[in-house]
Amino acid sequence: MPPLPVITGLGFITSIGQDRPAVVRNLRELRHGFEPVEFFGNPDLPVKVAGTVKGFSFPTPNWRDWRWPEHFAVDRELLRGLAPHGVYALCALQQALADAGLAATQLTDGTTGLFCASAGSPFLLGNFLDQMHATRGERGNPMGIISSIAGTLNFNLAAHYKITGAVCGFVSACASSSHALGYAMDEIRLGRQQRMLVVGAEDMTAESIVSFSSLRALSNNPDPATASRPFDRRRDGFVGTGGAVALIVEDAALARARGAHIYAELVGWGQAGDGYAVAASHPEGAGLRHAMLRTLADARVNASEVSYVNAHATSTPAGDHSEALALRAVFTATGAKPRISSTKALTGHGLSLAGAMEAAFCALAIDEGFIPGAAHLEEPDPVCAGLDLPRTSLAEAPLFALNNSSGFGGSNVCHLLRRPT
Amino acid sequence: MNASRPTALAPAPAHLSSNREESMRHLPAEARAAFLRFQAGGDAAGLDPVICAILKDFIPRDPAVPLAELPGDTRLIDDLGFDSLAITEVVFFTEDLFGINITNEEIMQVRSLDDLRGFIRRKVARHPAS
Repeated sequence: MPPLPVITGLGFITSIGQDRPAVVRNLRELRHGFEPVEFFGNPDLPVKVAGTVKGFSFPTPNWRDWRWPEHFAVDRELLRGLAPHGVYALCALQQALADAGLAATQLTDGTTGLFCASAGSPFLLGNFLDQMHATRGERGNPMGIISSIAGTLNFNLAAHYKITGAVCGFVSACASSSHALGYAMDEIRLGRQQRMLVVGAEDMTAESIVSFSSLRALSNNPDPATASRPFDRRRDGFVGTGGAVALIVEDAALARARGAHIYAELVGWGQAGDGYAVAASHPEGAGLRHAMLRTLADARVNASEVSYVNAHATSTPAGDHSEALALRAVFTATGAKPRISSTKALTGHGLSLAGAMEAAFCALAIDEGFIPGAAHLEEPDPVCAGLDLPRTSLAEAPLFALNNSSGFGGSNVCHLLRRPT
Repeated sequence: MNASRPTALAPAPAHLSSNREESMRHLPAEARAAFLRFQAGGDAAGLDPVICAILKDFIPRDPAVPLAELPGDTRLIDDLGFDSLAITEVVFFTEDLFGINITNEEIMQVRSLDDLRGFIRRKVARHPAS
């Protein structure tokens, strides 16, 4: 029997909660994490809602001005190399390690690796480059690169936790942390590592989110209660969010030997490119369809056995349309009818964070025995015909939960989670 | 979870204020006062609270004894745990605060607290902050 990766710890710094009980409650009760926001102090911007990360504040690029909830420990020495999403990530990872019953001293012997995903910090990188332009290259914050480029999470967390196993960052836009989790599964399945820390995070700043307005990808709906409505006929774009989610993934044998609680088994993953466009998804969701089929094949599970799909659906007109067609091809066409919802209706779209966050939500659904409903869905897009999109959360424990993610360039990644046997 | 007023997500344009203002903004009161006295009258001898405040900002571990009370021959790297990156940050901050340029060769000469105090006094005497 090859090693089986299982999830033994979860940490959440999200728009819908900063600990497991809060996240579970909000997923069950379909309470969103959106607030009205004013980006760049500009009331004329059409984007007026975001999935805010409560209790954290990054008002300037100067770390001395940053604030976070008091119960999290953030070393001053570490802070100087972190981006805002690095602070979220540190807090989420602390939480996940405590949840898994692991001390930092248990991570240093080379059997534990760390895979991270974020887009870097446009907020800090912009500031760093402004400074460099202003001084014509003569001056720059020594921590400017470390704190801002994609990779900042793995630089900081690997050094802080003294990780001597595999360390890597993943960059595939909105599929990034799904790639991190998939390859973390492989590290364990191949016997290279016994434990993997997987962290996805993003800044929750104007620079990270309004950038997507240039692509016309954001919702202009000012009502927090309806701005994010995946699969709804009136959806008009995604609502941005930031935060961090950390997962502790271990070989099942190690987890059992140390008596760890197992949330879910990670029984398969797969990926496929659209081979189509830099930003738009394939009109029929071809890549996502293949990624789902490869995931099911990897796990040797039939489509009919899947009880719940956490869809990628971000609430953009084109993306949700593609995914609905992909879901119909994989499930409806074979007579399968899993429950389907996109929890981005509640959290907003966390970009590089999304895949890890939603894999963690699938693990919670399995562990707590519920299926999050399709929040804010009033008029399903006709393209969803035949898909089971429950309007309320259901007290059903999924046996198999499928997590979908898609990123720029048509990068599609899925994971299949199973209730522990 | 809905706030009635929009959450302001407009970063203060801190990077547009002068580097010196930005550097001074977080100095403790005693250090700010010493810096202002230096700016007014060129009192480089009175800059110790400023130097202590800069070191305290970047020191990897807080020393058992306050920095101001440590012997002058206390070494930044061997005794206080500064690494090359933390030293670079001290240099960057000092350059911005005093509006001076410090070369790598100059940094290499600074080993102890007294070296640092002496170096900054000499340096700013030649380039008084205005």
